[in-house]
Amino acid sequence: MARRLRRRYAAERRFRRLGASAVALSAAFLAFLLITMLAQGLRGFTETRVTMPVNLAAADLPVETARLKGRGADLALAGAGLENAVDTAATSAFGPMGSDLLSPGAWMVVRDAIKADPSLLHRTIRFELPLASRYDVAAKGIGTPEAERVVARLERRGLLSTGWDLGFLRDADATDPTRVGIWGAAKGSLLTMLVTLALAFPVGVLAALYLEEIAPKNRWTDMIEVSINNLAAVPSIIFGLLGLAVFLGTFGLPRSAPLVGGLTLALMTMPVIVIAGRNAIKAVPPSIRDAALAVGASRVQVIFHHVLPLALPGIMTGTIIGMARALGETAPLLMIGMRAFIAAPPRGLTDPATVLPVQIFLWSDQVDRGFIEKTSAAIIVLLVFLLAMNGLAIYLRNRFETRW
Amino acid sequence: MRLPCLLAAMFALAACHDQANGGGAGVREQITAVGSSTVYPFTTIIAERFVAADPDAKAPVIESTGTGAGMKLFCAGIGAAHPDLEDASRRMKASEYRDCAAHGAGAVLEIQIGIDGIAFAESKRGPHMALTTVDIYRALAAHPGGKPNTARTWADVNPSLPAVPIQVYGPPATSGTRDALAELILMKGCDAVEPEAAALAARDVDAHRLFCTRVREDGAYIDAGENDNLIVQKLQANPDALGVFGYSYLEENRQTVDGVTINGVQPTYDAIAADRYPGSRPLYVYVKKSHLDAIPGLRAFLRLYANNWGKDGPLVRRGLIASPVSVQARSRAIIAREIPLDPASLPS
Repeated sequence: MARRLRRRYAAERRFRRLGASAVALSAAFLAFLLITMLAQGLRGFTETRVTMPVNLAAADLPVETARLKGRGADLALAGAGLENAVDTAATSAFGPMGSDLLSPGAWMVVRDAIKADPSLLHRTIRFELPLASRYDVAAKGIGTPEAERVVARLERRGLLSTGWDLGFLRDADATDPTRVGIWGAAKGSLLTMLVTLALAFPVGVLAALYLEEIAPKNRWTDMIEVSINNLAAVPSIIFGLLGLAVFLGTFGLPRSAPLVGGLTLALMTMPVIVIAGRNAIKAVPPSIRDAALAVGASRVQVIFHHVLPLALPGIMTGTIIGMARALGETAPLLMIGMRAFIAAPPRGLTDPATVLPVQIFLWSDQVDRGFIEKTSAAIIVLLVFLLAMNGLAIYLRNRFETRW
Repeated sequence: MRLPCLLAAMFALAACHDQANGGGAGVREQITAVGSSTVYPFTTIIAERFVAADPDAKAPVIESTGTGAGMKLFCAGIGAAHPDLEDASRRMKASEYRDCAAHGAGAVLEIQIGIDGIAFAESKRGPHMALTTVDIYRALAAHPGGKPNTARTWADVNPSLPAVPIQVYGPPATSGTRDALAELILMKGCDAVEPEAAALAARDVDAHRLFCTRVREDGAYIDAGENDNLIVQKLQANPDALGVFGYSYLEENRQTVDGVTINGVQPTYDAIAADRYPGSRPLYVYVKKSHLDAIPGLRAFLRLYANNWGKDGPLVRRGLIASPVSVQARSRAIIAREIPLDPASLPS
């Protein structure tokens, strides 16, 4: 008797320890992911700048002050050879290597300063300009030996400083790691998700309501149920091929557009919403329906006044899970051309765009070392995006949650 | 009552998207390009400069699909739904041109933007062999002469070479540089020594390719990953080994490695530019003539390409080899006078 009891206690302890170690293992994986991402990625949000004088008066750029107001300013300054003037300034400050030291985007910092204050054109000012990628990564401790020697020399002269790379949160893709930005991809993701939600949510919820509340139970609805469950398990690349054939081929929608991406992902997300929605609707106690019908409510009134509000928290959880999956999806988007290099954020639903996971994929493919930290930084942005979405879902769920 | 309203609003939104589609396919304001991943970095640089030069212009869309897949998209038709530009790391084939012509895209400009080269290199302390494409084929192919490759040293391949073990560090099979190695070096060596190669090429192109470009897998060819810097380090550690990488890496590491002479030609910038070195191939951009008027800025984009492909230009800094001056002039003339490609000159 006592032995059996001991064995049972031992089994219980074993089970508890097993469970605890499973949780610990997954927590360790998560911590590992987060720590490596943050350790590498946070560097991606900063840039190293070098302080140097730029003598714009000596460069004597042929540009009229009047043209520095309004839209033609960029063109006027570029045409007047500002880029060369900045290169010359770097060469005179740091020797023949000077112009290699600066990021290809450095002259744009000077340009923006001139646009803000045209009187700079006749003065010598000390600018803090971003370093080229080679030296930027060297300053962060992972560069080649010769680049690190150059950086150490600049460091001793007290010319280096570190600041937030605001361009990273403001710009789109670029060919140089010091000039890339994540905003183009983030906006593309945002637009794509908007289309997906606007299409998949109403259609999915209405389908779930109809199947659960109104449709008769017969062989046809069984078949529909099986097809929907199957559809939820279909690999995403198939939806990409479908999108390519139908939206691009038959309807002739523009390639690489968030509209098409959203439509394709909506096809993928809809079954998930239908399944989650049906489960949530099933969980609403039948007594509530009976009570409403008993006091004379119509079928539609029962559904929209009672069943749907009670089922909504569950539906929303399902929707968010589906959307989160869609947000992280790359394969179907590759098929419809959303893996392109686009140097400007999309301005609308039919403008070409990429999305965050595709951007991460594109950058991870680049040879330049500077792209490693930018890739990690983009992953952090994607995680923050996901976190915000899930946070919103939890907030909405708690607000609408009703207990009975 | 709030809920139905919300749903109705969402439906209205969905309907709105559908309306937006109608106009979407008719006009396009930005340039779109598809094609080779080798040309992709150069076209992206031009795209970036295009936007920098004119902030009002819409950013071009550059997709890297590979030359063959890009040709299919490019030749599928004219109009806003089809790309304007094709990046190509080889010339258009006659079959591809027929596809283009059948879909109304027969008038295309063929613009050579520069040259790409792959180089064999060895340590400064190496044996300084002079190889031929045939030697390399016999040393690296999986089945030269139809038998499994048993050559251990370069002397086994060609008695006039030193008895140094065959060790070649090179890119993995997924790399474009490896494709160039296969097409430019192994294929030429194969065609020169294998009697059945020509007949096979006429009958079945894919079988010919497989026959000629399979690389041996017994350790003589060492897959060094996509990291060309690593290959340079390996060569320094092992003076007997050879390395294969893009020409720009050889140029950057001249103080530690030397180029290997192939068919009597050293891999120098000038030799590759003049197409005397066997490991060089021209890179092209194809443009639809009918799109020049329809897509705003397409002409300016081509002119920008022409202004940047010179010997001191940003494309060369990024690893491109500039075409000879005469080829540059011809390409410039094609852009300026919009001379369409003559299909009779295309390879089959």
